[in-house]
Formats: sequence, structure tokens, C-alpha cells
Amino acid sequence: MKSVAFGQYYPSNSVMHRLDPRVKIVIGIFYIVASFLCKNVLSFALLTVSALVLILVSKIPVKIVLKSIKAIIFIMIFTAILNIFWTKGPEENLILHWNFINIYVDGIYNAVFIAVRIISMIIGTSIFLTYTTTPIELTDGLERLLYPLTFIKVPVHEFAMMMTIALRFIPTIIEETEKIMSAQKARGADFTNGSLSKRAKALIPVLIPLFVSAFRRAGELATAMTCRCYRGGNGRTRLKVLKTTYRDYLALFFIAVFGAAIVLLNIYAPGYTM
Amino acid sequence: MSKITVENVSYVYSGGTPFEMAALNDVSFEIKENCITGIIGHTGSGKSTLVQMFNGLLRPSSGRILLDGRDIWENPKEISSIRYRVGLVMQYPEYQLFEETVEADIAFGPKNMGLSEDEIAERVRESASFVGLSESDLKKSPFDLSGGQKRRAAIAGIMAMRPEVLVLDEPSAGLDPAGKNTIFDGIKKYAESTGSAVVIVSHSMDDMAKYCEDIIVMSHSRVAMKGKRNEIFCRGDELEEIGLGVPQITLLMRLLCEQGVNISQDIYTVDDAEKALSELFGGAR
Ligand SMILES: Nc1ncnc2c1ncn2[C@@H]1O[C@H](COP(=O)(O)OP(=O)(O)O)[C@@H](O)[C@H]1O
Ligand SMILES: [Mg+2]
Repeated sequence: MKSVAFGQYYPSNSVMHRLDPRVKIVIGIFYIVASFLCKNVLSFALLTVSALVLILVSKIPVKIVLKSIKAIIFIMIFTAILNIFWTKGPEENLILHWNFINIYVDGIYNAVFIAVRIISMIIGTSIFLTYTTTPIELTDGLERLLYPLTFIKVPVHEFAMMMTIALRFIPTIIEETEKIMSAQKARGADFTNGSLSKRAKALIPVLIPLFVSAFRRAGELATAMTCRCYRGGNGRTRLKVLKTTYRDYLALFFIAVFGAAIVLLNIYAPGYTM
Repeated sequence: MSKITVENVSYVYSGGTPFEMAALNDVSFEIKENCITGIIGHTGSGKSTLVQMFNGLLRPSSGRILLDGRDIWENPKEISSIRYRVGLVMQYPEYQLFEETVEADIAFGPKNMGLSEDEIAERVRESASFVGLSESDLKKSPFDLSGGQKRRAAIAGIMAMRPEVLVLDEPSAGLDPAGKNTIFDGIKKYAESTGSAVVIVSHSMDDMAKYCEDIIVMSHSRVAMKGKRNEIFCRGDELEEIGLGVPQITLLMRLLCEQGVNISQDIYTVDDAEKALSELFGGAR
């Protein structure tokens, strides 16, 4: 249960893990855009290769990556089928005609392209943003990236702090829920049997203590923060200053080259174009 | 004779994941009837894990727990009936209070048992008197009580189920001496008037010495020692090695002995010490 706290974070010491979270956020967005730019066989091939390279570089076991793809397999198959049956191409590309069903080569291409795009996108974003970056690093990176918004009076720091605190307390609250449930079970509470309304009612003895302690904890945390002179983001310095190194610039360089390559392949490569 | 028998029990948290953690390792001992047993050990030695096995909140990864000679997991569907027979007060039980009044909260357990209104009222009254909650406390909201009173209300909630074995996980943690005494006296009263077996988990040697007849010492997921109180406390050096030590008063007696005072070393409570000392100085007074 405690693993929930880290989301999908997979602890390791790869180059990818050590990149600056800001850089990873930027690259992640760039990668999504690039996957949408792909138009023909060659650019999609490059996208596929890049996804495989990402898995290798980040040292995430393939088994784990497959798990996250499994979650969207249904949507993927659904879109693929829609594409196969609904894409209309020129007459000479018709390969199957039966009653009202017309299947064109174009449809098959589209189905494959879109599947590759979705898979690469999932792999890309999960590797950049969840497997190799802890949620706390991510909020930290976001806060820095969104910093310019403070000039138009968006409370960026406060939002980031709220998110950090929420993330920090997820494991605590899960642990507490387990404890309270055990305590009520010890008094004969039954959470698994009976009708739905009965089971919902059985949760009251868990929810009330949980809320009471969540509010108590929030109050205590606020007091503790005030005691240490916390007063929002103004003039606040950081314990862990994010620093970009040559690695980060290299990563940015690679993603730029990757984007350029996709654009070039789209322009010069022959074959079916989406 | 033996109320609960623990047979070669091991427990692993989150088995089969990278977060795997062995909390108990081949633990065996007995809890006797009509007896207060203490389980002592430093933080993380597996005490809380162990006591959650007694009433089936956790199921041993291997090994068995016998209650009156029968495996409590013989019929997993009936595990809730075990929970009424072995009442477990978890660590910091005050956080489990939820009802509008203390009275209603204490009645939660007996109500789940399906007892009659009269029986429930009777039991609430009785267990409140064990832990020293007054009639007016019973009408209050549990959230308006002091920390010590909350703890006592929570303990009364378990006592009201009249379990054959009352198990308390660190019942005195974080309380002042007066609060501690009220709670231990309540536990003693319960044990005496119902004849139940009682198991107290603690890391305070002084409390253990005062109330427990049998003691089980846990260290690093294993049973390090088990036996009668005096058998355990006469092994002071071993206890210190585990990082526990002997009760303060025993230590004092020992130091006096080293200084050449002629006094017994198996003294574990302040009362006994007082007696021995006044005997020693009796003539001089
Ligand atoms: N829910 C849990 N998940 C994983 N590990 C746990 C859990 N509860 C306890 N542990 C671990 O098991 C060990 C024994 O814990 P516990 O039984 O609570 O010890 P004690 O009560 O003696 O302090 C500790 O190392 C603790 O970190
Ligand atoms: Mg404990």
C-alpha cells in the first residue's frame, strides 16, 4: 500500500533519473508534440525506435512498462477498429468490399500509426514524468517552470506547496485508514459482507475518525509551519536548488534533433502519408 | 492451562514486492489462563504485528495461532467470532472513537455482537467503571475528553465485549504517571473480576515489573526470552544487550548491593523495595 505514495516511480540510478525535473517536463511535452507531428512510415518508425531507446536509457524493466500500456489497451483496440472501418481512401486502395463494409489500405495504415502514436506517447510521458521522477520532484519542477506566472498574480508557489503537502500525506492517510479499519474490525465491524448500503454504513466508523485526524493534522501542520515563519513564497529560498548540468543540455539537444528529424522525414520521405 | 499458543509463527509484510519486510521470524510461546502476560521489546521488534495475529487481524505467513487448542484460522469465515473472544486494543486507540457519545462508542462492539439492549447497557456501565469513567463522562462527546480519558474510553470499548483474552498494545504510551496508573489499575480490575487472560505490550520495564507475571521479550522479530517475571529480570545483562535494561528500582537495589548494603536483588517494584528497605532500617527508625 505504501508504494502508492510514489505513484509509479521506479527507483533506480539511470541517467534519466538524474535529469533535472524541469528539463524532463519540457522534454515530455516536446515528445508528445513530436509524436503528433509524425505522418509517414519513416517518422513513425523513428518514434518507435525512440520509445525503445527511452526504455533502455531509463533502465525500467520492460515488464513494468508493459503494465502501463495494458491499462489503455482497450482504448487502443477500439480506436484501431474505428480507423480500419471508417477511413475512406481513393478507389484503387480498396482491398476489401463486403456489403456496406469497405476497408482501404489507408485505414490499416491509420490504425497502426495511431496505435504506435498512443503507445509511444504513453511510454514517453510515463518514463519522463512518472517512472523516473518522484511526484515531489515533479511539483518542484512545475513550480519553477510556472514561476513567470507569479507576475500576473497566479499563486504558483502556494499551489505547488499544496500539492507537495497532499502528496506527502497520502501514505500517512493510507496507513491511518488501515489502522482505523483494523481497530474497528477488532470491535466486530464488517466491511466485506452484507448489502451495499450496509457496507457503506460500515464505513462511517472509519471515515469519522479519519476526517477528525486529517483536520487535526492539518491544523498542527499549519501551526508548525507558522512557528517556523512560513509565509508563502515571497523571498523564500530552497533547500534543494535545481541545477541543470551538461546532461540536461545534452538531453535538450537530443530532443531537438529528434524533433527536426521527424519534420524532415515528414517532408522528404516517400510512402503513405496520414 | 494455555489460552493462546503461538506455534512457529512468521510474518512478512508486502511479500513478493520490492518492499518486502519480515516482521516476525519463527515465534513460539504460550499465553496462560488467568494471568497477565507482558510482551516487551524495542520499537520495530514486531510486537504490534504479533498481537494483531492473536485476533486474526493478520494471518501468519507460516505457523499457527491456537486459541484453547484450536487453530483460529480453521474456519476463516468465522474469524469475526474470534475477534469477540480475543479483544485487541490497538496502539493509540483514542483515534478510533467516532460515536456521538462515549456511551454509544463503548457500545459499538457489544452491538456488533448482537446483544440485547439491557445487556449492552449493563456492559457499558461495567467497563466504564473498570477504567474509571464517570456517568457524566459517558454522556459527553468522545472528542471533548482529555487524551487520557479518550484512551480509557477506547479500552472500555473493548472490555465491553468481555473478551476471554484482553490484549493491549502499548496502553500507556504517551500518558502521564497518573493516567498510566488509572489504566493499569483498570486492566487489573478487569482481569480479576472476569478471570480473563491479559496480554500487555509495552517497552517500559517498570510497568511490566509492576503488573505482569509472565514476560516475553522480543528482539529483532524473534522471541529473545520468555518466562516468569523474576526469571527474566535476573538476566539483567542480557536485557541490557538487547537494549532494554531492568526496572529502575531493581537497578537501584543492585547498586546498593554493590556498595555493600545487604539487600535482596530480586526486587522489581517500588512497594517491594519499600518493604525491604524499611526492614533493613527498621531498627534505626
Ligand atoms: N503495515 C506495514 N507494512 C510494512 N511494514 C510494516 C507494517 N507495519 C509494521 N511494519 C514493519 O514491521 C516491523 C515490526 O513492526 P511492529 O510490529 O509495529 O513493531 P513494534 O510494535 O514492536 O514497534 C517494523 O520494522 C515495521 O517497520
Ligand atoms: Mg507497536
